[in-house]
Amino acid sequence: MIVIRSERLRRVIRRVVPFIVVPALALSGAVLAERGQYALVISLACAASFLLFAAGFERKRTGARRLVVVSVMTALAVAGRFIPLVKPVAALTIISALYLGGEAGFLTGALTALISNFYFGQGPWTAFQMTAWGLVGLIAGLLAAPLRKNRALLLLYGLLSGIGYSMIMDVWTVLWYGRGFSLPLYLAALATALPHTALYAASNVIYLALFARPFGEKLERLRVKYGI
Amino acid sequence: MGALDRRHPAAVFVYFAGVMAAAMLTLNPALLLVSIGGGALLLLIRGAARLSSLLFSLALFAAMTLINPLFNHNGVTVLFVLGDSPVTLEALLYGAASAAMVTAVLMWCRSLSGVLGEDKLLYLFARVSPRIALVVSMALRGAGLFSAQARRVRRSQKGLGLYKEDNIVDTIRSDARVFSILVTWALENGVITADSMAARGYGTARRTAFSRYRFTRGDAMLLAAGLLLTGLSLWGVLSGTLDVSYYPAVRWTAMTPLGWAALIGYGILALWPALLEGGERLKWRFLRSKI
Repeated sequence: MIVIRSERLRRVIRRVVPFIVVPALALSGAVLAERGQYALVISLACAASFLLFAAGFERKRTGARRLVVVSVMTALAVAGRFIPLVKPVAALTIISALYLGGEAGFLTGALTALISNFYFGQGPWTAFQMTAWGLVGLIAGLLAAPLRKNRALLLLYGLLSGIGYSMIMDVWTVLWYGRGFSLPLYLAALATALPHTALYAASNVIYLALFARPFGEKLERLRVKYGI
Repeated sequence: MGALDRRHPAAVFVYFAGVMAAAMLTLNPALLLVSIGGGALLLLIRGAARLSSLLFSLALFAAMTLINPLFNHNGVTVLFVLGDSPVTLEALLYGAASAAMVTAVLMWCRSLSGVLGEDKLLYLFARVSPRIALVVSMALRGAGLFSAQARRVRRSQKGLGLYKEDNIVDTIRSDARVFSILVTWALENGVITADSMAARGYGTARRTAFSRYRFTRGDAMLLAAGLLLTGLSLWGVLSGTLDVSYYPAVRWTAMTPLGWAALIGYGILALWPALLEGGERLKWRFLRSKI
């Protein structure tokens, strides 16, 4: 059982892994054009996201409650991924991050990718999807205070996170397809993914506009009533 | 139930991971062809894929093959010039090898998700992180639970006269209300569940899990064979004896005994699941009573 006990170590992991380790992995993939390095990148990214998981939850009494609320949000997001074209996954991830904290957002995003891929197909891309949606949640958690206050900012974040998701997934496309990272191929992948990117961004904005307030009220109520 | 479904999840997982790892680390066409052949055969025998869906994989393979020469102009053999840039034979072959690698791994992934369903994966990973396993299993349970509760909420809303379906606007409004009630209920129900778990001592000690999988001699054999053959293949692949350099011209490294051993070892590794499942099916067919 992986539980990291030291609060300091957990805080360090939470900051270092998404903002330093993952970008460093992507860069090293670009620099090292050696054989098999991209397989290494994929497995290291996967390991890094599991480290974030472990750092996500403390051993406090509220731990179990938050864990369960996260699983409810995850179940809703998984169900939402079956909606054709406009999918609320990122929006629900952002909302859980706003009211339950960045780690909860990371878990919601990452676990939604993991679980829904049982239906949509598991593969090496699962690690990247987990990282991408997880980061959308984590960063939303860090920006929680301004995002909760300013609705326009929230919608803007939804738009940007749709673009960011697409950019992370295209890194996977390129690493997987070629050996090593190649910028022209990456740009081509981004260009071909443009309709999807627009769709992600649009559905994030739509669902955030629809859901942010009612879900916020419900989660806020939960916090007042049960003290989560 | 095929032969693989009855094997221990850990043995199956290690075996499949080995098959995929070796394929991911090389661009040797012979090894990749064997891998695709074994993966496709397994899918067909298990009935997980029809010939038509394998044809779709072929189309995907062709598309991926053609992308590389459009962006990569290395290589000495120019086939023709497209616009300003040359399209080379080497880039085409490199594209084919990459596409074969992707196709092979995709096929094995497809088989793997058929053989190792969510229950078995949870069984495997609950030891690594019980918390994640708990969230995953609760979220999986959510699907059935929430749809049942949604029906209940809708019925009671109808009984109260609050649910209208006269036109599309009414339907959407009514469904939105049902959804809102459902989410509130789901969240509160979750908190109550958590409290109930805490009252029963969740998180106070190591979590134990009921398991219906027993590690038998057959599993040990599968695991040992998987590790041995994967080790042999990876040794061959990583030693570089199976390397093929595509640029500037296609050049094979001279085959050493190790190279042959790795190739044959990988062949057995990739074909074994198909043989195991195929043998089982043949046995069923021939032992069926003819009275």
